[in-house]
Amino acid sequence: MTGHPDAGSAEPSDVSLVRPYVMTSGSSQEPRSPIEIEAQVLTSELGLAAAEQLRFELRDIVALCRCTVAVAEVAAALRLHIGVARVLIAELADRGLVTVHRPDGELGTDPGTIERIIRGLEALR
Amino acid sequence: MDSKHSADRGARRPPIPVKIVIGGGFGVGKTTAVGAISEISPLTTEASITSVAAEIDRTSEMPEKTTTTVALDFGCITVDDELKLYLFGTPGQDRFGFMWQDLVQGALGALVLVDSRRLGDCYPAVDYFERIGLPFVIAVNLFDGRLSHDLDDVRWALAVHEDVPLITVDARARMSVRDALLAVLRRARDRTMLPRI
Ligand SMILES: Nc1nc2c(ncn2[C@@H]2O[C@H](COP(=O)(O)OP(=O)(O)OP(=O)(O)O)[C@@H](O)[C@H]2O)c(=O)[nH]1
Ligand SMILES: [Mg+2]
Repeated sequence: MTGHPDAGSAEPSDVSLVRPYVMTSGSSQEPRSPIEIEAQVLTSELGLAAAEQLRFELRDIVALCRCTVAVAEVAAALRLHIGVARVLIAELADRGLVTVHRPDGELGTDPGTIERIIRGLEALR
Repeated sequence: MDSKHSADRGARRPPIPVKIVIGGGFGVGKTTAVGAISEISPLTTEASITSVAAEIDRTSEMPEKTTTTVALDFGCITVDDELKLYLFGTPGQDRFGFMWQDLVQGALGALVLVDSRRLGDCYPAVDYFERIGLPFVIAVNLFDGRLSHDLDDVRWALAVHEDVPLITVDARARMSVRDALLAVLRRARDRTMLPRI
């Protein structure tokens, strides 16, 4: 899971801390659902090291995601159609250049989580 | 504390994203509401809506499928160290397709904004959220500071189930939008409790 075909020379030191999003390629495997528009994208050490060699739109994403950015924010900031942003992010994730933290599908129905959000909003002034 | 950048990057876990969808007809105040409460000014991106004329059939490509590019705007609120709430204002289309499906996928709930002078504009959103079983609250945006209809009349006209919360909101006012979102969250929470009672 930690091995990336395009690993290059950089050390993927932080990649193992988080589970990278892995795109399934080809039609033999069950395709994963498209990356959620609120999923969080973070450039990996590998991505930082590889930035110079990337084609321009991928390089822009890698630069933008030095701090965690949502897929929709990537699309908005780089003026990309959200579908295009998704494809590019999936490609970067596939190559280990970004990690994508996808939302937990169960959270939306977890009363404890909803309660936390309620408390968070109640504290807004 | 740790001076090494890489260590900082590794230790700092990205927030867990959660989302609420804001729906309703055109010009009803969706972007205004997002902007009133978001900690970033609302961002806009292009998205595609695929409308299918007949029932959606996943096994075949339907010839009547049409794709429209629409503007999707959004903002966010940091809830605490771990949770970040995204608000997505959705275009007021009269038919919803695949973009809507992944827009609402995993959403906590929805806020449907209504202009009481154009009640019918919110039907598609109400129908859609009802059909997919997403908890939602209907909020009448008080454009001129008062209702042009009584809330009971609005409920009657919309023919929504009596336990769907119906509230008023001023889409320009941060605290009013917050309260509307709280109503959505309480509705969502109550819905998750329901089967256990
Ligand atoms: N007086 C008043 N004006 C409002 C209120 N909410 C929105 N508006 C105005 O109504 C217009 C439409 O609001 P938007 O927030 O752009 O509505 P929208 O739903 O995002 O519109 P579309 O994205 O075009 O469907 C803007 O000119 C707002 O300034 C309100 O509560 N009171
Ligand atoms: Mg708008």
